[in-house]
Amino acid sequence: MTTRRRSTALIGDDNTVVAGGRTATWRTLHKLPQLPSPAAVLVDNGADALAAVRHHAVHGTELLVATTSRVDLSMREELADSGFAIVIAKGDEHSVEPAKLKRVEESGRAWLLTSGSTGRPTRIGHTLESLTTVTTQQQPRTWLLPYSPGTYAWWQVVTMSLTQAYQGLVVIEPSELEIWPSIAAEHGVTAASGTPTFWRQTIYRDTEALAEVPLEQITLGGEPVDQTILDRLREIFPKARVSWIYASSEVGASIVVHDGQAGFPKAWLDREPGPEDERPVISVDGDELVITSPHHGAGLDGAVRTGDRVEFAGDRVLITGRLDTDEINVGGSKVSAGLVRNVLMAHPGVAWARVFARKAPLVGRMVAAEVVASPALGPITDQDLVQWCSNRLPDYGVPRRIKFLAEIPQKETLKSDV
Amino acid sequence: MAELTREQIRDLMGAVLEAQGKTLPADDGADLREIGFRSLDFSELALRVEDEIGDELNFDAPGLRQIAKVGDVLDFIEQLQSA
Repeated sequence: MTTRRRSTALIGDDNTVVAGGRTATWRTLHKLPQLPSPAAVLVDNGADALAAVRHHAVHGTELLVATTSRVDLSMREELADSGFAIVIAKGDEHSVEPAKLKRVEESGRAWLLTSGSTGRPTRIGHTLESLTTVTTQQQPRTWLLPYSPGTYAWWQVVTMSLTQAYQGLVVIEPSELEIWPSIAAEHGVTAASGTPTFWRQTIYRDTEALAEVPLEQITLGGEPVDQTILDRLREIFPKARVSWIYASSEVGASIVVHDGQAGFPKAWLDREPGPEDERPVISVDGDELVITSPHHGAGLDGAVRTGDRVEFAGDRVLITGRLDTDEINVGGSKVSAGLVRNVLMAHPGVAWARVFARKAPLVGRMVAAEVVASPALGPITDQDLVQWCSNRLPDYGVPRRIKFLAEIPQKETLKSDV
Repeated sequence: MAELTREQIRDLMGAVLEAQGKTLPADDGADLREIGFRSLDFSELALRVEDEIGDELNFDAPGLRQIAKVGDVLDFIEQLQSA
């Protein structure tokens, strides 16, 4: 059985949606045929993903939407065994592979696949309401949508456009990522949300083209954010508001910072929300970030250990990376890969860096790095960077093997596995 | 696996020190502590050698030994390559 959603959820139905060179509105987007429910709708473009979301919003079905490339054969079988019909959507055409398990739908349930940064993607249950975390009235904006369909960050931008008036969308397909600034400038994009990797890549490729986009709102999330990228964006867009959001499929959007400083104020830790307050409680246990959130996924009540490592710097709390991969033990001395990465990224000649442990004799592990040099500065050498790091890090934290890459690597999730 | 010559290993050892603003003396009898070549530097040299030969060095084979002079390092790495 399907139930009709409240019409208020579609306040943005007349918002402009630009996808694949076609301008429409949510209301006039092409319609997918009546979908089975539950359905896992696999798409190859943003327009089909948005059409699936609108269908879900109108009909209250149980939906998982993801790109075809993110769902391999074994995950398809897993979904089919869990009661999902597999729908391959391609514009007006689609194919349906029936579910292997017949079950009653969870009306209104929207499923997300985690980014899989730490392994295989897992399925997290939400609803349109729990995914709609921006509920205060927004000023009119046109949003860039570069995220992979079905990820938490993608849903954040999509639900804002669907539930708020005057929030247009300009969808960027993977094939358009290298030229998105020209598309954004053409369609008057005034707000853009992306991972730090996404912003670094854009600055690296063509700062001048980026500066042509009339951005008023810049949002970063999905990866640790260092001061260098915040400062760089501030230089290019001195009048724009630069926001950092800590969000995940599990705990939702939990920390939002607008002051242009990396991390968040220490004073925000362990603040108890008021009775009508939807603010999450942010804590640190050991060096792990723990969040109790009103926006968490289904079945995740209470405090959720995020697996993200934090460090204190003055009155700020910095998120440096994943606990299970961040710590490098060099002959018994421990150093945070995120910290070393921040030092490398602060070098004016570095556009991107990844820091990792490498097996080594005598000391067990050594710090190594991959670096993309910034074209804005003259050539830099590994010696330059070793010297830079030696002045800022203990001996054991200095990356001893540095490999230069030609370009910044980026996954479909717009992250770069740093 | 392509083996490095003693001279090539010496060049890599020199590069490790050069990155820290130090110079490798020509004398194989030079004391490692005096020239500031530490365990981290030795580990880095091993990684440089591994990158050059495209294979991991087998540290189990030659066993532990006293490494105090530049020549000891060169001997040890040479022996590791053929282990």
